[in-house]
Amino acid sequence: MEPLLKLTNVKKSFGEIHAIEQVNLDIHKHSVIGLVGGNGAGKTTLLRLMSGVYRPTSGSVKLENSRPISEMRSVLGVVPESTGLYSKLTAWENIRYHSRLHGIDDQLAWDRTYRFAKLLDIQESLHRYTEGFSRGMKQKTALLRALAHGPQILLLDEPTGGLDVTSARIVRQLVRKLKEEGGTVIYSTHHLAEAQQVCDRIIIVHNGIIQADGTPEELLTLTGTKSLEEAYVSLTSEAARPRMEESEQPSKISKIWRRLFTPKHQLEVDEDE
Amino acid sequence: MSSRKRIVTVAKKEIIEFVRDWRTIVALVLIPLLLFPLLFIAFPVVMQNEATELEQKTVDILIQSNDIEDLLVDLLENQTALVTVMTLDENLTTLSDADNDTVELRNLEYDAILRMELRNDTWYYAILHLSTSEQSNEARGRILDVLIDWEDDLRSQRIESAGLDVESTLDPLQWDGPISDADVATKGEQAGMLLSLFIPFVLAIWTASAAVQPAIDMTVGERERGTLESLLSLPLTRTELLLGKWLAVVSITAVGVTLQIGGLLFGIAYLASDFIDVPSLSFAAIVLLALAVGFYGTMIVALYLALAMRSKSVKEAGSVLTPITLAMIMPILLTQFINLDDVEMFWFGVPFVNVLLGLRELLLNRIIIEHVIVWVLVSSLICLLTVRYAAKQFHREDIITTKS
Repeated sequence: MEPLLKLTNVKKSFGEIHAIEQVNLDIHKHSVIGLVGGNGAGKTTLLRLMSGVYRPTSGSVKLENSRPISEMRSVLGVVPESTGLYSKLTAWENIRYHSRLHGIDDQLAWDRTYRFAKLLDIQESLHRYTEGFSRGMKQKTALLRALAHGPQILLLDEPTGGLDVTSARIVRQLVRKLKEEGGTVIYSTHHLAEAQQVCDRIIIVHNGIIQADGTPEELLTLTGTKSLEEAYVSLTSEAARPRMEESEQPSKISKIWRRLFTPKHQLEVDEDE
Repeated sequence: MSSRKRIVTVAKKEIIEFVRDWRTIVALVLIPLLLFPLLFIAFPVVMQNEATELEQKTVDILIQSNDIEDLLVDLLENQTALVTVMTLDENLTTLSDADNDTVELRNLEYDAILRMELRNDTWYYAILHLSTSEQSNEARGRILDVLIDWEDDLRSQRIESAGLDVESTLDPLQWDGPISDADVATKGEQAGMLLSLFIPFVLAIWTASAAVQPAIDMTVGERERGTLESLLSLPLTRTELLLGKWLAVVSITAVGVTLQIGGLLFGIAYLASDFIDVPSLSFAAIVLLALAVGFYGTMIVALYLALAMRSKSVKEAGSVLTPITLAMIMPILLTQFINLDDVEMFWFGVPFVNVLLGLRELLLNRIIIEHVIVWVLVSSLICLLTVRYAAKQFHREDIITTKS
């Protein structure tokens, strides 16, 4: 069966930093795939490559029938880690803004939104400004926004990060329901237990490399361990690198300027490091 | 969905979000609309009140003279002044030598001191005052008024006593009829001349300053709030995103500028019509004026969006755009000093200056085809370059990562 999304020899570098190295992935329909890894592992970069926000340095990201990802954004629904809601718009206005840019009729978008809003129990808040929303409400609204145009693939970046137990549970239930309805979800998390609960397939990313890819049972067999936690530890024993953003360097002028206003003893410590 | 619709969708959302902030309405609608009418009302009222208040005050004047005439003292006392007369110190090098009386003036014991001395047939005088005191200046003014009238009388008496006609001796060259009748420029053209020094200044400063906040908010602000990433994963090209945001910033700025110019013209037409008329412009001049403003707005907004998007944080964007806005005063000032009757062609090839010069010419209802062609071509090129530069910034991959 042809994969819905195919990453072939994908490499992503930012200057001299290699964020993602030689990734090959096939994402098939009707599955929930967990991207698991620590901070700075490369999960978000991988998701941004899948959503077309980043272009691969080498290799290719293609949808089925070899369509380039840039032409196929309409089949994607993306929930970034930050949720990305406009605080001076209501929840529905936020959703409608994205669905309009997807070219979806307002009524159709509203019907879909209302249906999922009932599942997430926020139908009463759709006409409220998102300014006062809790983290959970924001996450749910971002999910509705990603679903309003009926995407084939849903990309979720840490969707339960910062949520209380009940909200996180509701989000997981929604993901499972989407799978039952034939959807495909790529779910990034650093919680193994959560991935085990929700995902059919777990991809362990560490230092920009896919260390393992398979069902929970396959990961246990691969590592010869009894629990996923042990499997994860054995697969990610190499020291984690710092986050990409932290590795970015200031400009030469900024460096010189900063040195002028840094005490000499502090400069010596920095140089030693 | 067409590209145009996506651009309009982005622009509409940006405008709605911006307008929902009441501070924006105050800054971009109320202040520009009311600024000039308030200035036209408040300035004359305040100035008139202050002048009346000062005129009614009694000032303390000290006269130091050995030869002062009683008539002069009476004339000064009629000016609501308390006059004290003393003899003149004989040790003064000149009458302007204030050394001995500095303390009295600084302590405001007297508002002004008039020194007078008659040498042969000529009166010598000096008025000592404290120029940093309004009341002292007022006292000096009143003394000067009295002295001028007294001198006129004295001059007339001396001319008459020499057997001459006073008027033809003092004023042998005289203008005949009202001066304004001799000016062939219409009132509308005169207004255009005055406003051509004023409107480009207002337009340029207001466009530059009104565009800063929305340009930052819609680019690096959006990145800092974390809303940019989800937007970039939509079926929307980055050029469409730039154009949508550009359209929003231009619309917001245009509303602010239009209201300010509207307020200015309203102020002129209804509140200051005694002093200045509404300029008379042809239809072609109005169309070209709109084009010039459009060019200026396009260049500024595209440049601001690009620089704001390049910045790593809202703070950095503010640090970059504020000095640029202030630097915009340079071409504006240059434009004010250029003589339009003898303007060299190259000025119409200098970006920003050319559009402002074009505005000045058009406000005078002068359409000089060669000038128009040069500033339209050069400005079109600069617009294209600034928009391309902005597009380049929007296509950068790192625009979603923030340092804040």
